[in-house]
Amino acid sequence: MEIQSNDERAFKQVYEEVFPILMRVVYHVTNNQDLAEEICQEAFIRFFDKGMEFATLDDAKYWLIRVSKNLAINQVKRKAREQGMVEKLKKMPANHSNTSDGSQVLMEKETRKLVQEAIDQLPEKFRLVIVMKEYTDMDYKQIAQVLHISESNVKVRVYRARKMLESILSQE
Amino acid sequence: MCVDDELLNTYLDDELQEPWRTQVQEHLGYCNACRQRLEQLRSLHQKLVDARLGDSEIKARQERVFAYFEKTRFPSTNKKMHIFRKKIQVKLVPALITSAAAFVVVFIGAFVLFGTNPQQGQEILPGVASPIDSAHIRQVTEVQKPSLDMFSLEQIVQHLDAMGYAVKLEVKAVTPLE
Repeated sequence: MEIQSNDERAFKQVYEEVFPILMRVVYHVTNNQDLAEEICQEAFIRFFDKGMEFATLDDAKYWLIRVSKNLAINQVKRKAREQGMVEKLKKMPANHSNTSDGSQVLMEKETRKLVQEAIDQLPEKFRLVIVMKEYTDMDYKQIAQVLHISESNVKVRVYRARKMLESILSQE
Repeated sequence: MCVDDELLNTYLDDELQEPWRTQVQEHLGYCNACRQRLEQLRSLHQKLVDARLGDSEIKARQERVFAYFEKTRFPSTNKKMHIFRKKIQVKLVPALITSAAAFVVVFIGAFVLFGTNPQQGQEILPGVASPIDSAHIRQVTEVQKPSLDMFSLEQIVQHLDAMGYAVKLEVKAVTPLE
């Protein structure tokens, strides 16, 4: 089924299907929900305004993920420049002080926070691959297509990203 | 020989092709160390999945962003209002006709059923004699505002002459003889 990006019906169909995936990818890359929302909106604006044709819904999805991934990486780089990496690292120990709270919900929130902070520490190329692997339904082949890298490269990056995450989380 | 981490990760993601997949499966059947390692990887994967952004958090943002598109890119989404108006128009007209017809039927029906009593009519309505003759008829004309059309050219010229104006009349396209 062909997708015309500025056709209202087609747009709605793509939006319904892709927005949650896009939001998850961008959020886990940037660790900021408001920023993720802005980036998703910007990606869909470009998608609509460019009036492009896609052979399948998956092709439209890959295009959107690619654009929003680039926007997210740019934002992360800008944020890092503004804040300074030292400051970011300083914040981390302070966040662990609430672990003594017995509440299950708080524990879950804390775990979620720790996992996200561990993802934040990954180098960009590993972060993108592991976020796509864990937070979308894409397989190695599809991730390779989105990132324009080989499938075996995706496989290696997933393995290394998990190894790094394991190491970061075991320290905490 | 045990399965390496990279292969186990690929197996965990269900991306390992045959015949390696079957070989790893067989190995896991008897190697405790590899089974434990696979469980560790699975637990890490689950931890990551559990940390994902929730559906409810996404939904609110999805609706907000979509509202932006409805406002800026899909002006035709106001179609709903037009459809609503049309429905009212279509339904109102027959309803009015029906109620008007019902009113007429009830009105006529009342006359047919109960009839009219001339005596009762005379009691209610005072008898008024209408002597129509020339003495009672007076022609009423519309009071017109005075305008130039009510006067002849001669009257206008005379009036202007009396006012002290010297009036010279010329007819268009006619040149007076020298």
